[in-house]
This record gives sequence, C-alpha cells and structure tokens, in this order.
Amino acid sequence: MDLGQIVFNLLALGAAYALVALGFVLILNATGAVNFAQGDLVMAGGFAAVSFASMLDWPGVLLLPLVMAGLALVGVAVALVAYLPLRRRPPESVFISTIAVGIIAQNAATLGFGAQARAAPPLLPGGDGPGQKLAIILVAAALIGALYVMFMHTQTGRRLRATAQDRDIAAAIGIRVDAMVIATFAVAASLAGAAGLLLANLFFVTPVDGANYILKAYIAVTIGGWGSIAGAVTGALLIALFEVLWPALPLLLPGLDAISGAFSQTMSTIALDIVILLLLMLRPQGLFGQAARSRA
Amino acid sequence: MLLEIENCFVSYGQIAALRGVSLGVPAGGAVALLGANGAGKSTLMRTIIGLLRPRAGRIRFAGTDITALPAASRARLGLGYCPEGRRVFPGLSIRDNLLVACWAGRAERARRLEQMFTLFPALGERPGANAWQLSGGQQQMLAIGRSLMNAPRLLLLDEPSLGLSPRLTEEVLGRIPQIVASGTAVLLAEQNAARALSVCGHGSVLRLGELVLAGPAAELAASPDIRRAFLGG
Amino acid sequence: MRRPLPLLLLAIGAIYGAWAIAHGSPYTLRVLSVAGIYALLALGYLMIFGQAGALALSSGTFMGIGAYAAGIAAARYGIGFDLALPLAVGLPVLLAALVAIPVLRLQTHYFALATLIISQIALLVATEWVGLTGGANGIGGIGGLTLAGFPIRAGWQSLALVWSAVAVGGWLAARMTGGLAGAGFAVMRADGATARAIGLDTDALRFAAFLASAAYGGFAGALYVHTIRVVSPDVLGFPVMVTCLTIAVVGGRRRVAGAIGGAVLVTLLPEWFRALRDYYLLAYGAILLAVIVLLPEGITEAAETLLARLLRPAPAPLPPALPVPPIAVTRGPLLEIDALTRSFGGLRALDDVSLRLAPGEVLGLIGPNGSGKTTLLNCVTGLYRPDAGRIRFLGADITRLPTHAIARAGLARTFQTVSLVAEMSALDNVAIAVEAASVGLLRALGGTGPQFTRARGIARTLLEAAGAAEVAQLPAGSLAYGIRRRVEIARALALRPRLLLLDEPAAGLNETEQADLAARLRDLAQGGLALLVIEHNMPFLLPLADRMICLDHGRVIASGSPAEIQSDPLVIEAYLGRGAA
Repeated sequence: MDLGQIVFNLLALGAAYALVALGFVLILNATGAVNFAQGDLVMAGGFAAVSFASMLDWPGVLLLPLVMAGLALVGVAVALVAYLPLRRRPPESVFISTIAVGIIAQNAATLGFGAQARAAPPLLPGGDGPGQKLAIILVAAALIGALYVMFMHTQTGRRLRATAQDRDIAAAIGIRVDAMVIATFAVAASLAGAAGLLLANLFFVTPVDGANYILKAYIAVTIGGWGSIAGAVTGALLIALFEVLWPALPLLLPGLDAISGAFSQTMSTIALDIVILLLLMLRPQGLFGQAARSRA
Repeated sequence: MLLEIENCFVSYGQIAALRGVSLGVPAGGAVALLGANGAGKSTLMRTIIGLLRPRAGRIRFAGTDITALPAASRARLGLGYCPEGRRVFPGLSIRDNLLVACWAGRAERARRLEQMFTLFPALGERPGANAWQLSGGQQQMLAIGRSLMNAPRLLLLDEPSLGLSPRLTEEVLGRIPQIVASGTAVLLAEQNAARALSVCGHGSVLRLGELVLAGPAAELAASPDIRRAFLGG
Repeated sequence: MRRPLPLLLLAIGAIYGAWAIAHGSPYTLRVLSVAGIYALLALGYLMIFGQAGALALSSGTFMGIGAYAAGIAAARYGIGFDLALPLAVGLPVLLAALVAIPVLRLQTHYFALATLIISQIALLVATEWVGLTGGANGIGGIGGLTLAGFPIRAGWQSLALVWSAVAVGGWLAARMTGGLAGAGFAVMRADGATARAIGLDTDALRFAAFLASAAYGGFAGALYVHTIRVVSPDVLGFPVMVTCLTIAVVGGRRRVAGAIGGAVLVTLLPEWFRALRDYYLLAYGAILLAVIVLLPEGITEAAETLLARLLRPAPAPLPPALPVPPIAVTRGPLLEIDALTRSFGGLRALDDVSLRLAPGEVLGLIGPNGSGKTTLLNCVTGLYRPDAGRIRFLGADITRLPTHAIARAGLARTFQTVSLVAEMSALDNVAIAVEAASVGLLRALGGTGPQFTRARGIARTLLEAAGAAEVAQLPAGSLAYGIRRRVEIARALALRPRLLLLDEPAAGLNETEQADLAARLRDLAQGGLALLVIEHNMPFLLPLADRMICLDHGRVIASGSPAEIQSDPLVIEAYLGRGAA
C-alpha cells in the first residue's frame, strides 16, 4: 500500500464518517438532545441500499437519492415518535427514547435481512478500483457542499440555524419551530442514509453496526467542539486519519515492525478511546471549541 | 387602537406577574412602558408576542383577536419583537440575522437589508461578521434591525438600553422617532423613564404587575407620582 | 400503611417464587436466578442514574468486570464464588473510583460518552487479551455457586441464594435512597445549586453513588458467572447496559421496587412471549419507547400514584417539635468584602466592590437590572469564583471555599425563585437542611432514622416560627407561593446561620404577604441575625433596611440610610435616567 492509496482510503472513510457526524450534530443543535439512533439510521441506510439494489439493477450513485428520500421519511417518523412528545422533558429522555428507536431498527433489520453481512453495490458500475474511492469522496463532498449552501445561503437554512440557536426568539420572528425540528430530523436521517450506502459498500453492513457508528459520531462531535458543524467534519476526518494511519504505521516506519501487534484495528480503537478520554478530561470544550456551550 | 390589551392576567406557576393589565397602542403611535425591575414589563412584552399565555384577558391586534395564536403567527401578522437582553442569533452573521426575520420575497428582502444598513450604518460595515463578535451596542442595533425586517406595524422594544453606556443608550433610543416616522407604532419598555418619555407620546407605569399610572408623556415626566412608583416614599 | 406497593409486590413475588420452586422446571428456576442478578445490577443503577441523576452507561461494564474477575479466579485458580467476591466487587469499585475523579463532573452528554468509551475499552480488552480472558470464546467450565466452602446446587438452592442477595441488596439500597440520603438526592436532582447552598456536598454524594453502582454491578457479575458457568465478552456488550437502562426506565428509576420489579418483568417477558420469538426483540424496543413516552416515571411510580389516589393514605404523623439549637453570639464584623471583581467575557459584572456587615444588621442591596446584585450573592456563597478580591466571614477567609462549606459555616441564602423540592413535604424540605452536613451514603447504611426524626422535630419548630406549621405534611409543590417563600426561609434558618442572604424575597407576594414577611424578617434581625436583602420593591425594603447600598454597572455608586439613598441623585439617575432628579 503506497501513500497515495492511504490518502485515498483516509478521505473516503473520513467523508463517510463526516456525513454520520453531520447528521448527529444537526439534531443536537436543533433540539439540544443526543440522537442515539443516528448510528442505527446509518445501518438502516445500508440495508435500504441493499434492498433497493435487489429490486433495481442500478449503480449506487442512482440508488443514493432513493435511499436518502426513504431515510428522510424515517427521520420524520423518529421526530414524531421519539422527539416531539418529549420536547419539554430533560434531554436524557430523548437519549433513552432514541436508544429504543435504535433497538427497534436493529431488530427490524435482523428480521428483514438476517444477521449476516451484506454489501451495497458500488457507486459506479464496474469493478473495484481507485475510481470507486474517488466517487465516494466526490459524492460525500458534494453532499456536504450542498448542505453548506442550503444552510448558509437559503432562507430555509437560516431558519434552521436560527431555530437551533434560540427557539423562543425564532418563534417570535415567525418561524414554526416544530416544523423546523422535523425538517432537521429528515435532513439528518437522509445524511445517515447516504453514509450508510457508502459505508455498506466500503465495508459491509450488519444489523449491529449502529453502535459503532454512533460512537464515531459522538466522538467526532466531541473532538470538533459540541455543536460545531465544521468541527464535526474535522473531527470525522481526524478519526479516519487515526484509523487509517495507526495500522499503517509499521508500513511507513519499518522500525515499528517488531511490535506490530500494537497496530491492529482493535488497538487503534483502544488508542483512539484513550485519546478521547484524555481530551474529555483536559479540554471538555473540544479541540476546536471556543467554550463549552451548556445547551445540554 | 392597533393593539388592545384587555384585563390581562399572567402567572409563572403560582406567581402572579400581571394582574389585570389593560393597555392600548394607537396605529403610528409610540407608548413608553415604564416600571422598576420586576414590575412586569418584560412579562407583558412576552405575552403580547405570544411567548407567554395569559391566564385571563384578551389581546387584539389590528382588529383580530390574537390571544390564542402562537408566536410565529403573530410575528407574521405584523408584530416585531426585540427581546430584553438582545438575544441575537450568535452564530449567524449580521446579514443572516436580518434576513432570517423577513418573510417577503427575495428582491424585497434585499431592499429591506439596505434600509437597515441605512438606519444603522454600523451594521453595514461588516455584514458578514458573526453576531457574537459584536459589541453590546451593535448587538442591540442588530436586534432592533431584526425586529424591523418584516416591516411590522407594531414594534415591541424590551429594554433596549439594558447594559449599554449612557452614550449608546442615547444612540439606540434616538432612533425611535425615525422608526415611528416611518409608520411603525412602538411600544417601548424601559427603566430609564426620563429618556423613554422624551421619545414617546404616551407613557404607562407598571408596579408589581399592575398599571398604576398612564398619560401623555409630558405630563408623566413632570409628575411626582412617577418617582414614587419607582423608589417608593 | 404508607407504602403499600412494595408490600403488594413482595406478596406477589413470594407466591410466584413458592410456585416456581414447587412446580417450575430447572430452566424456569435459572431464568428467575438471572432475573435476580439483573435486579442487583439495576439496584446499583438506581443509585447513579435514578438517585444521583447521572446518565451513566457503564453499569453493564461493572457487572462484566465482576463476572470476569470471578470467572478467571474460579477457572484459573480454583477460587470459589464467596472467596472471589472481594475481588469481583473491589475491581469495579476501584475502576469507578479512578475514572470518577476526572469524569464525574462532566456535563450529562459528556459523562454518557465517557462512560460509553470506558465500556468499549473494557470490551475490546476482554476480546483481545486472549491469554487472560480466553478472547472471544471466553472461559467455560466454571463451577457453581459456593458459600463458606459448601456448594450451592443449581435449582432452588441457587435461586434462594440469589434472591437472598437481592433482599439484602434491596434493603441496603432502600437505606441509601430513603431517609436523609434520599432526601439529599432529591434536593440535588431538583437543583444542584440549591443543594450546595443548603450545605449538601453534592460531589461526594455523586461519587459515592457511582461507587455503589460499581459494587452492585460487580456482585451481580460474580453471581452471574457462577450461574451461567461461562464468561464471554457478551457480558461486557452494550445490550447488557441497554437491558439495565430498560429495567430502570420501565420499572421506575428511583424506586427499589422499580429496580427489582422491572428486572423480573424485563427478564420474564421474553419467556412469556415465546410465541412472538423473532418479533420479541422488536417489541422490546417498542415497549421501552412507549414507556418513556407515556409513563416517563416508570410503572412503579405510576402505580404508586394510582394506589395513593385509591387508598388516600394518611400522611406520616408529625414528630414532636424540638427546640432549635442556639447559635453562639459573636461580636465584631460578620461579613467583610474587599475589592471584589468578577467579569463575564469582557463585561465587568462586579467591579471593585467592598462592603461590611455587622451582626444583626439589615443591609438593603439595590440597583437596576444587570447591575451585579445576584453576581455578588453568587460570589459570596461560592457559586462563582471572584477574579480578584477577598471575602471574610466571621474573620475567616471564605473566598475559595466550596459552596456547601460556606453554607455550613453559617451563611444561608434564598433564591430569586423559590427552589423547594416539589414532591417532598414542606417538613422534609426543611429537615434535610438541618442535617445536611451528615448526609452521606456510608452513614445512610448505618440507618439515619433517629437523626431524621430529630431533624424533622427541629424542622417543625422552624416551620411553626415561620408561620407554615399547618402545611408541614403537604408536598411543597402544592403550596401557595407566599407559603413556599416562608418554607424556604425556614429551610435557610435550619442551617442556623449568622447571616441570611435574600434574593428578591418579596417578588410575587401580595401586599399582605409582604407586610407579614417584613415583620418576620425584622424579628429575625432583632434576634441577632444579619440580613443582606436584594429587592426592587422599595415600599418593602425601605422600612426594613438599616442601611442600603446601590450598585450600577458592577460598582457601588451610593451607600447610606434608606432616606439618603432615596434622594441620592446618582441613584435616581441610575433608575430613572438623567434629568429625572
């Protein structure tokens, strides 16, 4: 594996993680609550891609809009069932209700698809190759770019951001706050769907994948500064950097071969966990956060 | 009357904050709502915009009963609200803070933005700056600008001088005659009674949730009762 | 009978247990044992999540570590259940103590993440460290339960041992969540700042609750491994934690009966709904969701409310009134504040503020909105750290003391909005402040009944003095606002303070209530208690205060008698604007 390939892998993985983390932080900002089902929505996106692919013989890039639209509907349902009834209760209520949503999603997937791993079709028709990784990077970048334009340069985007920052005042200037929150869930879930399709092609998808992805999103947002959208993307890229570079270290620095056991996938996860714990203790406002905003 | 409040009672839990307040604001007029801290000024403002619900009483705006309407609908009917403590959207730029509050089409939005930059030149200097980077005075102007962006028929200004130096207070309150001249009625809640009465035609004084004094600004300013309402004695 | 529900559940449980022992299959008995083990886990979770109110996601891990400790001890070294217990309980407690120091003060979501990460590390270590743990396959062939060297047979003997442990664990948990400690937890959950201001050491309470949850988890793990006879990474997986959380939420997160009843329900449901088989787990998620949305307090609390409505139990009898212990009289300056400064961002909320207060003096503190009055109060009571300056109380420097220590030193306060625990009786709201210094889980284990009774007796006297005796047994949330204000003042006096800080005590009171409050405060001052009163209501404050200070933009702009303050041009300008004088 040469350096170019490592960079490609890194960006493809980081781009997919960034979509997961973005969905997580959008809901966090709009509601002040953690959506613990975000990882399971990624898993659901993966299976949605698998099942659409079994019906239509299309490449991933054409399935993507279908998956995102389907997951947007799921997001609306999550908002209606697990968020809106609890919006006046302490934030841990939503934490628990979304854990329940995650359990439901996970077991529905097991019932529908069984426990074995499935793969989504590649984005482009044809075989494996650097082209696929490039397509993943481009698709994710396009989605993040579109999201950026929507948020920064449209009235809807401004209203979503205003709702996230101050709900009372948003209502007092004419914004229908609940509608904005439902829209946020829809956007966040469709991002999770896109991430699910990409990750189900990069790796595989199984019903229990959600726990892994929610932890990644949670960590990315913590690194990037609680509530920061740019920070969430940066955090996701840093996680990918860590995950790709750690196992590759012995290849890059031959002297480390002797202790190659310390550079397994698992050890990289443990190392990342320890780094995050240290970060939480020493800089609870995140690496890039200004100051921890106590919306929690 | 553009705004009519009839016998409003508002409570926080069991604490009565407003006890039977009635008040009117004529179209195109300016009314100062005076009273010490805790008298109920902000409560009344929040009740008018719809962030609080009265336990009893009615609110009519431009002939419509709005007592049961949610805040968002009231804002779109033509009520502009500039809250106590400014509460600009910190992470939005000056431009976005203004645009987000406007429900008109794209061209009209751009026109109103220019209007605000004319009214508050300081805002037009760095329209891309995030609101949290602004000084208190600039934030106050941004908050007022935001509440004017939907061209409201009535502007609710809640303690715009709070936390500002006397010079900045002067600058902010000094814009009110201009706003009224452009056809927007103003209800101004202020602790700074002398200054508020100098820019408003009428005044009303709240004390402990009740309206204790009302009258033309000139008469109130000269009345010894007003000092009593604030400092007792 | 004040608490009919636990007795009712106990009766149902005993009948069902007897039936199961007589007629149940070995499988049924084992499922019931597992239910008991989950009950112990949930009893621990009750401490940190239900009582301390921290969303910990590590309780499953504590159980897993206990299981591995006992399992490895048994399989590798032949150490039986009972002898391995100190290790199985001690190891999770040690881990909890280590991670608690940095992690326990984090905000809700960071705390949840930190505990989640710790759980992931434990799971990965157990899977990877094949030499010690057997890796993904785990360790099999672990013996059954033993007690003092005697083997406990699977079946009813094991069941009896497990449920005896549940009984003891439940009894201990009831002690730690009832009485003084339970009241302390309730105040802490309602509002942390209030809890510290009445002298509760909330950090210590939360730390002890976290350790207790680890101890219960470790014990449950040891029982689990000797019941299931294998240990594998499954026991450290997130599903165990989810089960624990579900038990707490469905059963009722704050009740011992909720933890035990919830555990039985959640363990047995899949057995009862075997027909659903594949759909069961789906239903499991749906049930959790439905309960959190529809019965957010859980089944036991909902049932308790229902039973209380049906049976209308009589309230606990009032204890005999006891005299309030006297306070030593001191001379010399009571409170000395020198050059206090505190900024928020760029804004100087307090700018070089100095003041003195003598015993028995009533000082009125006024100033326009945002002038720094409440910030001053928060600095004096230790809720904020000043940037510069010094605060001395009774001659001792208290500038850097934690809030609860300042409160215990004799400096009490009330808040702008009354902050009593709504569901607790007025009497208990006051009683907890009488004994705040002796609230702790270790002490609670020894039983705090007599102490609590004594505290209630003193609280009764305080409520009588405050004119709220007749509402002593009613929940504080049901009281009229003016009465709640009296209860809050009685609670502040329960600290036996030398100085009472009152933040807008007249706000929300009608004129009769204001006059009554003023008279009571004057009596207190004549009895030697110093008062520092923030108030905007001048007709209330002027006749009450001996001396007044006016703040504006964080600075003292005037100081003098009420009459002087009233006609001070600077004060009039601060309030009414220039030219008003």
